[in-house]
Amino acid sequence: MPRIIACFKWVMDEADIKADPKSRQLVLDRVGYKISDYDRNAIEEAVQLQEKHGGSVVGITVATPGAKPCLKDALSRGPEKACFVNDPAFENLDPSQTAAILAAAIDGKIEYDLIICGEGSSDLYAQQVGPALAEKLGIPCATYVNKLTYVEGENKVIAQRKLDDGLETVSVKLPALITVLPDLNTPRIPSLKQVLGAAKKPVDNVSLANLQQTFEPCLKTTGILAATMERRRLKFTADPEDIRKVVDSLIKEGVIA
Amino acid sequence: MAGVWILAESREPTLELLSAGIDIAAQLGVKVAAFALSSQLAEEYIKCGCDEVMLLPPLAAGQPLESYVPVIVEEALLNGPDIILIGASQRGREIAARAAAALNTGLCSGCTGLRLDQEKKQLVMERMLFGGAAVQTVVCETRPQMATIPPRTFEQAQPAEGHQGEVRQLPAAPPSPVTVVERTPKTSEAVDITEAKTVVCVGRGVGKQEDIALARELAGVLGGEVGCSRPVAEDLRWLPEELYLGISGKKVKPDLYIGVGVAGQIQHVSGIRDSKVIVGINRDENAPIFEAADYGIVGDLYDIVPKLVKEIKAALKI
Ligand SMILES: Cc1cc2nc3c(=O)[nH]c(=O)nc-3n(C[C@H](O)[C@H](O)[C@H](O)COP(=O)(O)OP(=O)(O)OC[C@H]3O[C@@H](n4cnc5c(N)ncnc54)[C@H](O)[C@@H]3O)c2cc1C
Repeated sequence: MPRIIACFKWVMDEADIKADPKSRQLVLDRVGYKISDYDRNAIEEAVQLQEKHGGSVVGITVATPGAKPCLKDALSRGPEKACFVNDPAFENLDPSQTAAILAAAIDGKIEYDLIICGEGSSDLYAQQVGPALAEKLGIPCATYVNKLTYVEGENKVIAQRKLDDGLETVSVKLPALITVLPDLNTPRIPSLKQVLGAAKKPVDNVSLANLQQTFEPCLKTTGILAATMERRRLKFTADPEDIRKVVDSLIKEGVIA
Repeated sequence: MAGVWILAESREPTLELLSAGIDIAAQLGVKVAAFALSSQLAEEYIKCGCDEVMLLPPLAAGQPLESYVPVIVEEALLNGPDIILIGASQRGREIAARAAAALNTGLCSGCTGLRLDQEKKQLVMERMLFGGAAVQTVVCETRPQMATIPPRTFEQAQPAEGHQGEVRQLPAAPPSPVTVVERTPKTSEAVDITEAKTVVCVGRGVGKQEDIALARELAGVLGGEVGCSRPVAEDLRWLPEELYLGISGKKVKPDLYIGVGVAGQIQHVSGIRDSKVIVGINRDENAPIFEAADYGIVGDLYDIVPKLVKEIKAALKI
């Protein structure tokens, strides 16, 4: 019965991010937060494996204390327990720090057979934390997986990877780490009962002091500028006259001929 | 050998990274080394300006390419490169992430531009953030400085008259705990969407697979090709993966892009940003595609697309 850890990140919803067109600074004061899109697939896969084979699912995240609402959100999706590795210092971490902190929080502290991460986070999309965490823990990994099977009694998983040059099916001895693509499953939408139930599930709080290590960044961000795009933003209706206007304009612009 | 190291899965991306590497190495006054999977490629890389090639021995049956990670890490520990540039294929991304973790160094993923800060002898690297809504500039404070770079970011290095270099054989990869049990190579019957002058893009607003015919007809009268959003290729599997546009898919620069039932979320828009003219068709007047479009048509695509086809035919007299 697999003991599974699902990793997830609490991120700003990029759809809420606005930019000041003059300074190209991001305007972040009205942004909402969410569980990173593909981490929902990671949690879902862990929960589906548990429903099929038994075992356990722990959700783990590294965040600042302010990310507390992520726990209820994650737990309502099925894990029985969460590990909240949080500290005010855990802000704007680079992927190497996140991987190192996760490794320190997991290694020797949580028993596991399988760790599942999303392909990449919706904010940084560096696609590093999964494989880097595997390396830190000294376990094998398979990335970009779109089909996952746990082989009972053999202590291994069969994973289909979707790569630029085709599909590759690999057999991986456990313990191992898998990063998943969004086409692997459809994350469930938690019911009201599940949302209410989530509040009662246990949470392990782990602080920087508990980890007895320091985590220095390797990358330093020297600037963030909004990617701006000059567009005319003209709007038309479905009336034949309007459609004709659009076609005329496109011909004038020389993009239809 | 220290200096700038290049690693990519195949010939073209290696030559692309080589041209960037040669440039940076010249500014730093160091040498360029590349990994190669065959002695034939090794020779070509040397001709194209590489000072040393590290030849990777063939893998055993069932070993995935990622099995080279320990070999690469070992070489880096022995020789202390300043910079390692890696081709951002999926395997390249995994190899880079694991190598960076093993070397305790920083990695700029999906680096879309880089230059050298001469004074600090440091790479200044750019990458996208928030699905492409912003550009992040980073420097790496540890060594080696690492980056994964998408294909076609740089021109390929060209053969330089009489360039000499050395080939060094690396040890074999240790047995891998991951075994390949099956491989299905991609049958690449899909068109190269990045070459199209006009792209008609199918979004999830197109309700049924058969209805892609509507988009095909529109593309037909415009002499263009049909592309799609990520969920149309990945979740619905209606069109091949090579046709989806966006930050994780293809980046296109057509003269004309027409989004048909495409919402226009930032991850998609990042891939079409350089289009000359963008047209969006969506029934939701608040859909983000209208922020990114020159011409937005609000309404039902099933009503609008046939009308567009008719008007274009009339205007072009076809
Ligand atoms: C890390 C990450 C990377 C991603 N990378 C990419 C990427 O590279 N490329 C990409 O495309 N996406 C990417 N996505 C997904 C992206 O965020 C969007 O979810 C996706 O682009 C939406 O696809 P869509 O517009 O086809 O579908 P939807 O969001 O479902 O939108 C469908 C639209 O069609 C409209 N519509 C419905 N019916 C009709 C009708 N009859 N007539 C007119 N309009 C209609 C609706 O109003 C809606 O706006 C990524 C996401 C993440 C988190």
